[in-house]
Amino acid sequence: MAQRLIAWIDQRFPLTSFIKRELTDYLTPRNLSYWWNFGFLAGFLLMLQIISGVFLAMHYKPDVNLAFDSVQHIMREVNYGWLIRYLHSTGASAFFVVVYIHMARTLYYGSYRAPRELMWWSGQVLLILLMASAFMGYLLPWGQMSYWGAQVITSLFGATPLIGDEIVLWLRGDFVVGDATLNRFFALHYLVPFFIVGMVIIHLVALHHVKSSNPSGINLADKDNIPFHPYFTAKDLFGLGVFLIIFCGFVFFAPEFFIEAANNIPANPLQTPPHIVPEWYFLPFYTILRAIPDTLGGVVAMGLSILIFAAMPFLDRSRIPGGARFRPFYRAMFYIFMVDVAVLAYVGSQPPGGLTFKIGVAATVIYFAAFLTLPFLSRWEERWLRARGLPPALQALLDSETEPKPRREAR
Amino acid sequence: MSLRMFICFISLLTAQAAWGEGALKDVEIDHSPAALRRGAATVTSVCLPCHSLKYLHYRDLLKLGFSPEEVTGLSMGNKPEAALLALMPPDIGEQTYGRVPPDLSLMAKAREGGPHYTYSLLTGFYQDKTGETNNHLYPSIRMPDILGWSSADAAQRAVLETQANEATAFLVWAADPRAAERKRLGYYTIAYLVLLTGLLYLIKRKVWARLG
Ligand code: HEC
Repeated sequence: MAQRLIAWIDQRFPLTSFIKRELTDYLTPRNLSYWWNFGFLAGFLLMLQIISGVFLAMHYKPDVNLAFDSVQHIMREVNYGWLIRYLHSTGASAFFVVVYIHMARTLYYGSYRAPRELMWWSGQVLLILLMASAFMGYLLPWGQMSYWGAQVITSLFGATPLIGDEIVLWLRGDFVVGDATLNRFFALHYLVPFFIVGMVIIHLVALHHVKSSNPSGINLADKDNIPFHPYFTAKDLFGLGVFLIIFCGFVFFAPEFFIEAANNIPANPLQTPPHIVPEWYFLPFYTILRAIPDTLGGVVAMGLSILIFAAMPFLDRSRIPGGARFRPFYRAMFYIFMVDVAVLAYVGSQPPGGLTFKIGVAATVIYFAAFLTLPFLSRWEERWLRARGLPPALQALLDSETEPKPRREAR
Repeated sequence: MSLRMFICFISLLTAQAAWGEGALKDVEIDHSPAALRRGAATVTSVCLPCHSLKYLHYRDLLKLGFSPEEVTGLSMGNKPEAALLALMPPDIGEQTYGRVPPDLSLMAKAREGGPHYTYSLLTGFYQDKTGETNNHLYPSIRMPDILGWSSADAAQRAVLETQANEATAFLVWAADPRAAERKRLGYYTIAYLVLLTGLLYLIKRKVWARLG
């Protein structure tokens, strides 16, 4: 019966061949480490956010007089409303953790290099969409931080030359963040995730075309590739289990960990909180914004600090495979960059001024310097490595890859 | 829980540095059911004249283990479905104090330092040199020293400390009445996930063993 049903479908829709091509016959390098688990986790979180978000939207009211109360209604009266909301609020932070690790893995292993540039760029678009969605979602609880965060960030667009004020007005739908802003942010917050889904599909189609990168950084001989299913479905599901244990630890035992105390106070346009901080995942970029004394310059620098990742395929001129593994200088730079981002994040969480401000400026300079020196460093490093003689293992890998391989006969 | 405590601890440290000597008091809040009930009685009788707890209803107090008769006693003629609203209308509060006393439903989560903030506020009143009452945590606060802390002697203060502690415990409950349910479900969920993940690990090992 089941077989006849599948046969019926297969005549009309390529179900079996699709599963075969994309899962059971889809070849994946067998040496992928757990760092390759995070794309799958990001996909899981996207689903979790969409599902929990739809249920929240059934009880939430995007109205300045009702929004804060409706969140408390969800927390107190709706069946398991607290669970849905804490899944969603913790899920947002987890999403960024997972995506940032996913990006760091790509940077470390050089997975952005040819032929995976389009994966990297579609990922860049995904990051921006995710940030937009998170930013708009943060306004919805209508707490003090929601309100003032949105007020500050939207006012940044006022730095646009000539038409700044018009843009701010257009974004907010009012002269200040108000009911019009809340309504449109709600509408867009519900819309953007579907763009994300579309972009994820593009990301995956590209992935299945170029195949996964792997820690060695070169394309492995066919014998080192294994079908995605069952090997990586099993591995990814185990990784998901580990992730869920940590995630649920936060959801059930420290759900307010990622929620600012001030956001438990209803938005009050007349009272500015003493210290406005964005969500933690924006902190590094917030520091870069504040490090430049001029508003327009700060906004441009902040925009560039996110967009500059897209230039990585051009900036990295080295042809040594394996990302940072065989490249001591790139590796050092990677770790310096990671520390630098952490410093930027810390500075972003502190009130402006004083020594922390100076550290923030220094960290901003290092941030951009890392990208801008990369073309020179990567070229020089390659020459240096070749002059010293590549490690035999790497040389062997390179040799096995340089000649165009004839189709491998089954041995 | 431990993470939350860690955060409290860190924020206490930084707050202590920022506020100066002893402004935020790091006391152990007593969350036992009896303390919560006494705290509820204190808050409804002492704080409710000025403050609302608008996200709570009198019937919610049943969950603390009060009998329906006791809840009727606490509700001062209000229906069980009624919200815990301040006896003083907001405009009178505004006129009298220059500010509507803030709603207390979420107070335990709405200040840095969490519950320690409320406790320290209640026990932070003192008489300055001119005989005016003031507050260490919130200088020139417009709220009166409602427990009479600033004029109490050591023996009276011991009683007031317990009272402030219990009132704070009640406010912690009021800010998150689902906390106990959440944690209970959390233990089951994590136990289930650990089991499931262990099994997934075995499956993964078994599947990968085929590769040799
Ligand atoms: C006589 C009226 C009155 C009573 C009774 C009263 N309060 Fe207040 N309370 C106020 C006013 C007024 C404010 C606003 C103070 C300000 O912002 O200057 C306030 C503010 C507060 C704050 C917030 C301080 C801040 O950081 O903004 C807390 C917490 C608080 N009260 C707790 C309590 C508790 C707990 C009780 C009962 C034990 C209580 N109050 C009883 C009038 C009162």
